[in-house]
Amino acid sequence: MQEEKEFIQELLDPKTQNEAFQKLLHTYQKPLYFHIRNIVLNHDDTDDVLQNTFIKIFQNLKNFKGDSKLYSWMYRIATNESLTFIKQKAKKNNTSTEEINAKIIDNLQSDVFFDGNEIQLKLQKAIALLPTKQQLVFKMKYFEELKYEEIATILDTSVGALKASYHHAVKKIEAYVTSN
Amino acid sequence: MKKFNLENIPKTTSGFIVPDNYFEDFSNKVLSQLPDETNRVIPLYKQKSKLLMAVAAILVIGLFIPIFNQLSKPAEELDLTTLENHLSYQTNINQYDLISELDEDDLNKLGATIQLKDDIIEEHLSTNSDIERLLSE
Repeated sequence: MQEEKEFIQELLDPKTQNEAFQKLLHTYQKPLYFHIRNIVLNHDDTDDVLQNTFIKIFQNLKNFKGDSKLYSWMYRIATNESLTFIKQKAKKNNTSTEEINAKIIDNLQSDVFFDGNEIQLKLQKAIALLPTKQQLVFKMKYFEELKYEEIATILDTSVGALKASYHHAVKKIEAYVTSN
Repeated sequence: MKKFNLENIPKTTSGFIVPDNYFEDFSNKVLSQLPDETNRVIPLYKQKSKLLMAVAAILVIGLFIPIFNQLSKPAEELDLTTLENHLSYQTNINQYDLISELDEDDLNKLGATIQLKDDIIEEHLSTNSDIERLLSE
């Protein structure tokens, strides 16, 4: 925790800011990319959202109070940015977020930045049918391998509720894959 | 139909991949966009546009200075001859209207500039046919 406080100080100090932020980017760009990609699904959109996320992180570092860990705070920003992005995209196309996601999933096989096999494709199709909260929980637990405690801090919910969401998600996914 | 069980299959990834060298280039892309003067790279055209705006503002202000000066200049005073001519020929004001505008002060000033001699008054009155009417007034 002390190390994190020192790191935040380095991020806020104009003398060390540049180097510290490069370190932050190097450490978190990959996990945050895949966190965002799992929500917005398409590479180009992920690239936009990831850039916005890091810019927002940089702009708001001075307001970071240290109530939670730096990584969970960044994941929260990334999650909010991704969800807002999909909502705006749906609004722009005069459709729903579910339809936007379903369309991307339907075209996943022709996406050059998706090389999943049949099971992975079915899994994506099954996940797209889940409610948003269950989708988030499943992706963070199964693909990103985050701990329940970490997910609970990021999504600001209880571990018990998360376990229930994950359990429901798994059951629905298994039922979908079995019948398709 | 065999029931699919997530725990019975090998752990799988999402299947999403990234373009080659994406993460190597990403850091530089973000660093160039940071909203801090020490890190931000301001494109040349943006700097130029600020300069152009400043020049345009100066030109506009410069062009308006003569107009402002013209507007703020007080109206020139009319010279007395012009005023007199105007009152005499261009208006319906007669001598009685002018007399009615004179007050005690004006009369005293006029009296000071006119030197009336008794013999001139007498001569004037003797030649004036309306002397009786004037006396009755």
